[in-house]
Amino acid sequence: MTSIAMENMDYKQEVKNKTSKPLLWIGIVSIVMFFGGLTSAVIVSQGGGGFINIALPDAFLVSTIVIVLSSIAFHLGLLATKKGKQQQAKMAVLATMVLGLTFVFTQYLGWSDLVARGYYLSGTSQESSYLYLLTILHVLHLIGGLVSLSIVLVKTFKKRYTPQNYLGVEVSITYWHFLGGLWIYLFFFLMYITA
Amino acid sequence: MSTHHHHHEDFLFKYIFSTDHKMISKQFLITGFTMGFIGLVMSTLFRLQLGWPGESFEMVELLMGSWQENGIMAPDKYLALVTMHGTIMVFFLLTAGLSGTFSNLLIPLQIGARDMASGFLNMLSYWFFFLSSVLMLISLFVEGGAASAGWTIYPPLSALPQAIPGSGAGMTLWLFSMAIFIVSSLLGSLNYIVTIFNMRTKGMSMTRLPLTIWAFLFTAIIGVLSFPVLLSAALLLVMDRMFGTSFYLSDIYIGGQVLDHAGGSPILFEHLFWFLGHPEVYIVLLPALGITSEIISTMARKPIFGYRAMIGSMMAIGFLSFIVWGHHMFVTGMNPFLGAVFTFTTLLIAIPSAVKVFNYITTLWKGNIVYSPATLFSVGLVSTFITGGVTGLVLGNSALDINVHDTYFVVGHFHIVMGLSAIFGMFAGVYHWFPKLFGRMMNNKLGNLHFWTTIASAYGVFFPMHFLGLAGVPRRYYTNSEFPLFDNMVDINEFVSTFAVIALVAQLIFMFNFIYSAFRGPRAPQNPWKGTTLEWTTPVEHIHGNWYGEIPAVYRWPYDYSKVDENGEFLYGDDYIMQTTPMGENENDGGH
Ligand code: HEM
Ligand SMILES: [Cu+2]
Repeated sequence: MTSIAMENMDYKQEVKNKTSKPLLWIGIVSIVMFFGGLTSAVIVSQGGGGFINIALPDAFLVSTIVIVLSSIAFHLGLLATKKGKQQQAKMAVLATMVLGLTFVFTQYLGWSDLVARGYYLSGTSQESSYLYLLTILHVLHLIGGLVSLSIVLVKTFKKRYTPQNYLGVEVSITYWHFLGGLWIYLFFFLMYITA
Repeated sequence: MSTHHHHHEDFLFKYIFSTDHKMISKQFLITGFTMGFIGLVMSTLFRLQLGWPGESFEMVELLMGSWQENGIMAPDKYLALVTMHGTIMVFFLLTAGLSGTFSNLLIPLQIGARDMASGFLNMLSYWFFFLSSVLMLISLFVEGGAASAGWTIYPPLSALPQAIPGSGAGMTLWLFSMAIFIVSSLLGSLNYIVTIFNMRTKGMSMTRLPLTIWAFLFTAIIGVLSFPVLLSAALLLVMDRMFGTSFYLSDIYIGGQVLDHAGGSPILFEHLFWFLGHPEVYIVLLPALGITSEIISTMARKPIFGYRAMIGSMMAIGFLSFIVWGHHMFVTGMNPFLGAVFTFTTLLIAIPSAVKVFNYITTLWKGNIVYSPATLFSVGLVSTFITGGVTGLVLGNSALDINVHDTYFVVGHFHIVMGLSAIFGMFAGVYHWFPKLFGRMMNNKLGNLHFWTTIASAYGVFFPMHFLGLAGVPRRYYTNSEFPLFDNMVDINEFVSTFAVIALVAQLIFMFNFIYSAFRGPRAPQNPWKGTTLEWTTPVEHIHGNWYGEIPAVYRWPYDYSKVDENGEFLYGDDYIMQTTPMGENENDGGH
């Protein structure tokens, strides 16, 4: 096998520019279908009766606010990067990170609240099982977001992004906004099924 | 020393951790065929039991050991083999093996790209597939044996580790293997879609894409939309098995003990499973339809009839495939009104399917047909697609399905319409693109022999099954001889099983041809079938990046066969015009 144009860095960059975002979008579609499957399952199970209307932990409301704030912070970070204001970008991305971790913490508080009230992941209440399952799965996806966010954070601090080159930030922020949207959907969905 | 080291590295990255789509394609092909062969041998073994129940096959004991004590297959092993056979054939051979091979090989070559959007994800996709194959095979050797709940793994058999022997470790491995498989499939599909949308060469508009590419595109889209739902179904199952949840389980009795579960329903599983399950049959079928469209047009030396109708019907089939899953659940106590809705949507699929059949036949009609094994297998697909489609109308109709549900009628139907069609498409593809895969030609005589023996034995196996089913013989039964009702079915069963053995032998012809030709076949010419598409412009020897120099631009659609001028003379002096040939001045591009 001989190698030609392939090894060329420009070529690789060009492919990356063209395909990173579409790859992410289609990945997002599959995640949507995954949660779509699960939330449909909840509705089917609910049809069987036996849901006991567990009040949602207050902490989940805090989670909602926190995740919205984190998206705003990230967005400001992107704007700053685009304008080349590196100092602002650093602060914004750092804030996103802090808010992201806070979100995970508020989720943990929510689960503790459920445990304190005697609702567990296992056991015969499907409603309680679903509450845990959906939120845990969301957090697992969010951890992926945090990993990509940390890469953005490091690169922002190392001043790797310029107003001409910020593809990484865009990819990461798209996924992050999606996670926010997914949480808001789950939050209202859980509110609806536990009401 | 250092050069030696270098060589070692070369080998590793060229053949093992390759990111080159052509190598990955071969990896998928060989792994898929290996799995498929194992699945085939399994089916022959349990067909021996069904044909001659209780008879001793001591030769088989050599192969199967304790699974076949005194030469007789043990009942629980029978169920394990049926389950593994179905799983392997549907997922490993005809999903990963088929899409993995041809999407990988043809997408970059036919759209004019140097490789996939992400070679790395592509490599991961293969290695996840490999890992899941290994896990699935390992599950044959754990205590209790492999999963035995059927390829559809309905709970409670699949949800309760204590239910039957295969429900334990075997089922756990099945679930892990399939979870990894789903990841592999998703990574592949992601790449295929993005590559098709973003990496086409200059001039390659969507309506100049070969139908293969359209088929791979729809397949990948269906995969991205349906596999995640199977993953969610499997996840809930794992929760029930390992964390004591009650998604699918309720307070049923097992072994005289009431279960510590409440409120769950296996019907939920069926909904989730078949939401994937039906689209899955099109994930299996569409690539085969794409491959044969391309081959039939090339080998009939005629433009494909109804190019846009072909695309439209694939799109319609893809869409409809998501709203018909209830036809697998007519007997679950489904509301008859809902049953009627699913009947309606299911019967609608007949329309686009008939459009495709019509177009195939019209393309062949009065064509200047070149007979190659690929042509034969493509026409074979048209045949099985019709035969199997007709019984689909019966099964799609709730009033009729209720009578034959879970009988051999169903086994006959889905083997013909899905199993045979897809495997014929796959064989056609291998014969046709072998020169692109291995730079050599396969032997046509052996190929023709392979085709005729295969189609004869395939119909011999699956056609009589309809009669068994109409007589009420249930599927997934270890033996029929225990029931006086089925005593007069003995002959049919022997007939079927005899052909199953012949079918296995026929595949040995293929295997020999494949392996021999890969190493010793005659060198492939540049364009052996006089095709118009871009893959025939790449060097026969594989090179990284596919084309020396620039990627060629495209000026026309891929089906300019036998195009004549006003005097009836072939344009450009031959009966095909490459996509890379610019349009002549007065030439009509037919809207492409
Ligand atoms: C000559 C080759 C084959 C033979 C002789 C064969 C035979 C059989 C038989 C007799 C059964 C039913 C067993 C039972 O219900 O007890 C079966 C099940 C099945 N086969 Fe095949 N088969 C062959 C190839 C294929 C192919 C190519 C596919 C690909 C779609 C396939 C997919 C399945 C599936 C999905 C099942 C259902 C398994 C289950 O009930 O869980 N088979 N096969
Ligand atoms: Cu179906």
